[in-house]
Amino acid sequence: MKLRRILAATTATAAMTVAGMAAAETMTIGITQNNVGVDSYQTTYEKAFIAAAEANADVEVVVLDAGGDVARQIAQMEDLIQQEVDAIIIWPTNGEAVIPAVRKAHQAGIPVVVTNSNIAEAGFPFVSTFSGPDNITQGARSAEIMCDRFKALGIENEAKVVHITGQPGYTTAIERAKGFNDRLPEVCPNVEQIDEQPGDWNREKSQQVMEAFLVKYDDIDGVYSGDDNMGVGAMNAAIAAGREGITFVGATNFAVGYEAMAAGTYWGSIYQSPVDDAEAALKSAIDLLNGEELPFLNYFDTPKITQDNMGDFTKPVF
Amino acid sequence: MAESTKQDIGKLLAKQGILIAFALFIIGFTIANPKFLTLDNFENVVRSSAILGVMALGVTFVVISGNLDLSVGSMMSFSTIVVLDLHDKLGPTLAIPAMFAMTLCLGALIGFLVGYLKLNSLIVTLGMLSAIHGLTLTYSGGKNMDIADKEGTWFAIFGQGNILGIQTPILIFIALAALLGIILAKTPFGRKVYAVGGNGTAATFSGIRRARVVFLCYIMSALCVATAGLIQASRSMGSQNTVGQGLELEVLAAVILGGASLLGGSGTIFKTVIGVLILGFIQNGLLLVGLDFSVQYVVTWIIIILAVWLDIAAKRGKLMSPIA
Repeated sequence: MKLRRILAATTATAAMTVAGMAAAETMTIGITQNNVGVDSYQTTYEKAFIAAAEANADVEVVVLDAGGDVARQIAQMEDLIQQEVDAIIIWPTNGEAVIPAVRKAHQAGIPVVVTNSNIAEAGFPFVSTFSGPDNITQGARSAEIMCDRFKALGIENEAKVVHITGQPGYTTAIERAKGFNDRLPEVCPNVEQIDEQPGDWNREKSQQVMEAFLVKYDDIDGVYSGDDNMGVGAMNAAIAAGREGITFVGATNFAVGYEAMAAGTYWGSIYQSPVDDAEAALKSAIDLLNGEELPFLNYFDTPKITQDNMGDFTKPVF
Repeated sequence: MAESTKQDIGKLLAKQGILIAFALFIIGFTIANPKFLTLDNFENVVRSSAILGVMALGVTFVVISGNLDLSVGSMMSFSTIVVLDLHDKLGPTLAIPAMFAMTLCLGALIGFLVGYLKLNSLIVTLGMLSAIHGLTLTYSGGKNMDIADKEGTWFAIFGQGNILGIQTPILIFIALAALLGIILAKTPFGRKVYAVGGNGTAATFSGIRRARVVFLCYIMSALCVATAGLIQASRSMGSQNTVGQGLELEVLAAVILGGASLLGGSGTIFKTVIGVLILGFIQNGLLLVGLDFSVQYVVTWIIIILAVWLDIAAKRGKLMSPIA
């Protein structure tokens, strides 16, 4: 893993030198990632990014990983500026702490693309574009999936929903919860959300929270979880307790969620592919360098997936 | 006669302050939500505390011997990931002993460093916390591990099965607590653990092989962690790499809440079990009461402080410090 990154970095640097002399249209794009290897999403993202870059003859990439360490990421940003890459893609380890480094790149005239999770607003003036999922829309779409299912079951006027959120304080968790909580009353005004507690992105924790909900409430019709990992934890709690007829909706469709949908126990989710995420980031950087105008928030699409249309999607690899 | 009864009750209180605190919480939560005091809920809490509890049993040995173990959270993630991965490669019959062997190797390494090389246990296990996490990530490549065929394996019995209507994690927790409780309280080894933790120098001069005792305590801890990993893996049949992250502090909190001294030399398995249950019931109780999570964090802290205070107050027979 590490070796390959170093290799990627050296070949890219070498290629850059050659490129500088030969073809003017070859562009060098540096990326500093958050923490590859910590989860399957990020691992797949990196593979897809490298594959997409290799497929494009006009692009050379310098692929770096901050290992979750803010200081290392800032150093990597400085390295990339030093190497005079044409554009930098950053997956922030921390939305606040990386702003000075992003500013430095901006001042050096290097366009910066933020990928996956945006940096704090104070850094927006130095960012050319953000490429990533729209978590508020994801939350809203989950609410629509839930509501549509209730309508199909004919319980849209009395259904009761519990909500398991991600780790408190995380932007993704906050935005998805907001999207869901704002949208649900719009599409299903008579559905009542009776409780909301964090599951910390953790399947076991989510299962415990759901167990408590099942004791506390005799009537639960739907569960929305901030991701499928937690959703499957909640679903396992309901199955163990013998409570049937609950509609489970999540986000970030994981392989376990996809399998549970195939088994008919889990209803729906949001399909967010790390491959799309990586390709969108690379494309944003290329488009910028080609002089195209991009919206500041350049979201890639994350469609709804349910038991009804899951055949249109391949099983997630993570 | 009345006087002696009063003294007896006083002694009982002094010995079991933490039990009284426990009883008070149960009453308090039941008033707040009557559903708290139902058999189903109790079973849920004990079952979900079992993983933490099994880990705390091992750490109790380590703490009594005067050391710390902050690596148990990472180690539990490691065991869980390894057993899930090997399940599909070797089948459960081989995967389980292989996972235990690998986890015990980690325990032996820590035991060697702390026991025989006499390195500070805080530093060693804090380092191991990250090192083992790195090892887990290298092993799995960061991927979630899931058992492919969840229906066609008997592996689920450790986490989801039941014997005579009692769920297996609870049975494992009780059986291990009983076994380790007897080892700690009734065997020469158990006495040596107290001696080493109470006064290591005196223990050495009494002919106790201190390094060996410490080493075995870490083996105990690793054994418990492997068991916890097995329950965890079997319960969810799949896992993230970070499943045990942060548990080391909860485990330590439970052990200390049970009254074991961080300086070593005191504590019992029974009290650790009570400490584990208090933590479990607080978490469950607060969910049932339905407070906002940010409030829950603070209330959890207040309850823990209250429990420790009641315990100490009962020991010295006064609510405030006797030394004015």
